[in-house]
Amino acid sequence: METPVRTTHHAEAAAAFLRDEENVDWHNETLWFVRSKRDKAAAALPEWEDLREQASRIKNHTLSRLDEYLLDLEKNAQQNGITVHWAADADEHNRIILDIMRQHNATQVVKSKSMLTEECHLNPYLIKHGIDVVDTDLGERIVQLRNEPPSHIVLPAIHLKKQHIGDLFHQHLGTDAGATDPQYLTEAARLHLRQKFLLADVAITGVNFAVAETGGFVVCTNEGNADLGAHLAKVHIACMGIEKVIPKGEHLGVFLRLLARSATGQATTTYSSHFRRPAPGQTMHLVLVDNGRTRQLASPDFRNSLKCIRCGACMNTCPVYRRSGGHSYHTAIAGPIGSILAPNIDMKQYADLPFASTLCGSCTNVCPVKIDIHQQLYKWRQVLGEAGAVEPAKKVGMTGMDFLFSRPGLYRFAGRAGRQLMKFFPALANNGSLNPWAIHRDMPKPPAQSFRDWYAEQEKK
Amino acid sequence: MSRDRILSAIRQGKPDLQPLPDVIGFPSHIADTDLADSFLTMVRTNGGLGVRANSLDEVRAQIASEYDLTLPTLSHVDGLDLNNFTPTENLRLLDDLNLVVLEGSVAVAENAAIWFDETALGIRALPFITLNVVAIVSTRNLVGTMHEVYKRVDLNTSFGTFIAGPSKTADIEQSLVIGAHGSKTMTVFLLP
Repeated sequence: METPVRTTHHAEAAAAFLRDEENVDWHNETLWFVRSKRDKAAAALPEWEDLREQASRIKNHTLSRLDEYLLDLEKNAQQNGITVHWAADADEHNRIILDIMRQHNATQVVKSKSMLTEECHLNPYLIKHGIDVVDTDLGERIVQLRNEPPSHIVLPAIHLKKQHIGDLFHQHLGTDAGATDPQYLTEAARLHLRQKFLLADVAITGVNFAVAETGGFVVCTNEGNADLGAHLAKVHIACMGIEKVIPKGEHLGVFLRLLARSATGQATTTYSSHFRRPAPGQTMHLVLVDNGRTRQLASPDFRNSLKCIRCGACMNTCPVYRRSGGHSYHTAIAGPIGSILAPNIDMKQYADLPFASTLCGSCTNVCPVKIDIHQQLYKWRQVLGEAGAVEPAKKVGMTGMDFLFSRPGLYRFAGRAGRQLMKFFPALANNGSLNPWAIHRDMPKPPAQSFRDWYAEQEKK
Repeated sequence: MSRDRILSAIRQGKPDLQPLPDVIGFPSHIADTDLADSFLTMVRTNGGLGVRANSLDEVRAQIASEYDLTLPTLSHVDGLDLNNFTPTENLRLLDDLNLVVLEGSVAVAENAAIWFDETALGIRALPFITLNVVAIVSTRNLVGTMHEVYKRVDLNTSFGTFIAGPSKTADIEQSLVIGAHGSKTMTVFLLP
């Protein structure tokens, strides 16, 4: 697989996505439908808001003792026969996995969904070293065959229509030309991937939750792909960010009640598997990855983002995500939460993302672990501004407004002038090349007078 | 070493101690008398088939009428000997399995998740690799919520899994398809 070509600016990539209006409408409405299912599931539990609060507090507590819980996890996992590895960054994570593969002379890997391995660009790395990596989640297999990254953390192929997938499977899996029935296409993928499961030397999975007190970890899927891979292969490698640990088994009850309801509106995922010891004759590895997370932890403004359980609810509800598509974020984790996480990994490369938001706060309202997402997006804008990472056009505008708003006389004059200008030359204000705000928008009719003038008039009456 | 660097970075950067909530979980809203109905409703919602049965004999008769028992079948339920298949060390041969019958030790009414630990499974791959799954659950072993079920299950098992219906995906245009990689059907018999 080649490294996908990435557009580097959200607004430009979103503009490209928006050209196919029919597809955008479908994307927007489909994600809103998923959001509605989430609402229904949440409303069915009277304790929903308290459950979110409990989850948030468990995560806050864990972060405040993260070192101790990771040490407990390590000790207990080792006692159970799991080999534990620590990786400071993506490179080390990838090297550890390749080393394990080489120790076992392995060449065939099946992988279930893991946003961490996307973040670390594990697939291209392994492929470069001669390993055959197959993504086994249906949506992930689809995007892998297209040489694309997933566009959504829970619904990886949500940017595609069934015609795209029908053509793709016709080309790669030999399905009938023009066939687009989801049932038929899914069956074809099942048969194709079943062979991969049966032949794999190594299975790589993500981790939804790791439990410090038992040394075990939980992996959730609807398709059953993580389990098929992990139980059939001789070697199971599970990769997790260090923030995925929770203190106790009883805490799983809180998080499993929230995860699927927030993600898709299901009461639970089909499979929630608890791995604690390798099966007889099997080897199990757990890789704990930092890759910028300790930096995020040290920042009081942004450490809250480490509570994320990767449900995707913030994407489904986001008016910007729904109308710009996951690929426009040019990072492994798209949407509101990804726009907080990415600048921590590379401030320059992802400086556009905290601006890809209306700051409406809907993400914060649906987040099952109460991350203050829109406030962190706002804070990132300040940080990026101070660091000089904001694009010049935006900066000129902001500096201009700062100048104007701190001079009341000038502000009043500019308001009058602006109203006159829009009254007599509306075409100027609606010209997108002079006023970028007017692209896709008509400017409103200017009011006859300002609020200040109106107020002064009322006083005189 | 990365381990020490990561741990020391955490120690330097972590916030002051935040307390855990005093009580974890919430009481169930499902009355004891409604557990079975809620459970069976959720089995259907999850794409499974929920059937009340009075005895293992009744279960055996229904299985015999619904499944072709000449195809590879494996049962791990005491008193329900339907085995015509002997697993070997080569797990890949399990791919031939048509039906696996298992007993869940505890199940959850709010989402129809059924718990199978290493003892119930024998071989971990069984419920995932087989085409069809039959699960036997006793009404006496139903609890209301996930909070309650974690008080009942032993997380010290080497492996355990909650299964809530047949495998499914909606990755093609959000159209729900039952039968992704795991079993294509799941029938749950609820005994008294």
